[in-house]
Amino acid sequence: MKFAVTFLGGLALLFVAAAASLSFGATDIASREVVAALLGFDPESLDHFLVLTQRLPRALIAAYVGAVMATGGAAMQGLTGNPLASPSTLGVSAGALLGMLVSVYGFDAGLFVQGLSALAGGFAGFAMTSAVARLTGLGPDPRGLPLILSGALTGMLLAGLSGALLLTDPARRAEYLSWLAGNINHFYADRLAAFWPLGFVSMLILLALARPLTLIGLGTERAAAMGVRVRGVTRAALVAVVIGASSATAICGPIAFVGLVVPHLVRPFTGAHLARLLPVSALVGAALCLLSDVLARRAFAPFTLHTGVLLELVGGVCFGVIVYRLYLRPGAAR
Amino acid sequence: MQSETYSVVRYVLKTLSLNFSIGQLPILRDVSVEFRTGRFTALVGANGSGKSTLLRCLMGIAPAQAGRVLLDETPLSGLKPRQVACRMAYLPQTNVCPDHLTVGELVELAGFARTGLFGSVSNAARAQFRSALHTVGLDGAEATQVAKLSGGQRQRAFIAMVLAQDTPLLMMDEPVNHLDLKYQYAVLDLVRRLVTEQGKTLIMVLHDLNLALSYADDVVVLKEGRVLTQGPVRNVLDASTVAQAFGVEAEMRQLGDRLVCLPKGTRMVRRP
Repeated sequence: MKFAVTFLGGLALLFVAAAASLSFGATDIASREVVAALLGFDPESLDHFLVLTQRLPRALIAAYVGAVMATGGAAMQGLTGNPLASPSTLGVSAGALLGMLVSVYGFDAGLFVQGLSALAGGFAGFAMTSAVARLTGLGPDPRGLPLILSGALTGMLLAGLSGALLLTDPARRAEYLSWLAGNINHFYADRLAAFWPLGFVSMLILLALARPLTLIGLGTERAAAMGVRVRGVTRAALVAVVIGASSATAICGPIAFVGLVVPHLVRPFTGAHLARLLPVSALVGAALCLLSDVLARRAFAPFTLHTGVLLELVGGVCFGVIVYRLYLRPGAAR
Repeated sequence: MQSETYSVVRYVLKTLSLNFSIGQLPILRDVSVEFRTGRFTALVGANGSGKSTLLRCLMGIAPAQAGRVLLDETPLSGLKPRQVACRMAYLPQTNVCPDHLTVGELVELAGFARTGLFGSVSNAARAQFRSALHTVGLDGAEATQVAKLSGGQRQRAFIAMVLAQDTPLLMMDEPVNHLDLKYQYAVLDLVRRLVTEQGKTLIMVLHDLNLALSYADDVVVLKEGRVLTQGPVRNVLDASTVAQAFGVEAEMRQLGDRLVCLPKGTRMVRRP
């Protein structure tokens, strides 16, 4: 019963965020006009044109990225038992970014190959993070700090490579520079149209694995003794997370911190069981991205800030709070 | 074991010359043990003697490199993980629990073996979950976060999870290790009742010989990865076994209807 209330709350938040995203922008459009545009498009109206060709695609991209990254973060935090785990802190986003830039700069690839290349990059980024964590052999820390540090290291290295690649071709630099910073923009609607099934499948897989993943969060041996095929479930979940996060990165560049922060915001309301945490994280992640996008458009009007930049600012503060609460505060060791 | 006792006594679980090593380091060497149905068997031995490893081999979560584990005469290696989990439950030595997970959710997760990925929890299973919580004295604590319970309560919540798996066979790795005296005895009273009243078979790694002497039916003594001896507690645990297994001189005393083990140190304070 309580979960139904929480879920409806998340749904309501998403609805409000979507409405705000469609109405507010460089010019405000009355909600009546927004509804009218969605229900019956009037080719004569500029407002209708704006809503359908700019704001709606933009809102859909924001919602998609938010939902996919938040579920990915929740699943990774549950799986590793690490409060700082998320696609962007474990090298997935940076890897996908580099993969995609390589395909564009090296091979002038079309959308399909760009997507594949982003996926390959995402997997490589995660593999590199795990390899660094294993090679440095910092020992089994119960809170998994080595993994997060390797993720940060890998992320910086790959982002550096992406930056270097970007500099090699001044003609295209402008086009991809804003993408590199995480830019939710209606230009990328064709990318969303091409890649959304990846995120959809990713979320379905994670939801299906919710119970065994929650059990793995209680310890791998306990999970194995409870009948979970630990290795298979872990692999399937990681593949799902990487596919989802890479597809999001391939659409609008790396949107950091949604995956990290949203599960922490949602957990007090849903509990840690992934069957409840994942769906609400998806709703709240989507809503958070939509609201940040509205804020990015409005806060410094007439200039529009990149949503990725704004989220990085907000997320950086949240990151600090999480580190303090779960790591540094006296008695925080779990 | 002689064949005449074989027909009378039922063994639910057996191992045949089990060998387990980590890298070059042998942990278990040629271990053949048998566990009787409906009995409480304690696994005892010094640190590093292989007790926990044996338990994990018996569960199949650390498969032995050589030898076999037979569950009701079928090789464990031929069973699927969920089939095993329907027949035996395991309480590891360390229990981690993420924040915000409630007691009710913890216990409900135990149903995974029976429902799998897409099955839903039956009403009978729900009743089983409630009764598991009742058994450990945590009725009505469903909505409480596990991480916020006291040490004793948390351990009982994890025991409830194991009970909710509703298996005839229970394995516990030092379940009373970090508990104070009161809860050590409370937990052992609880599991003893499960054996006596519900006919469960219990295999438990125990550090404290006096707890083994007070609560277990049978005992398996391990030393350096080998079985030193096994059998009913009273026949097996004597001063010479304790000396061999732990390298400690100990006196075995009968106190009323209890048998107790009093190890001797060399610098003990004399109190005449």
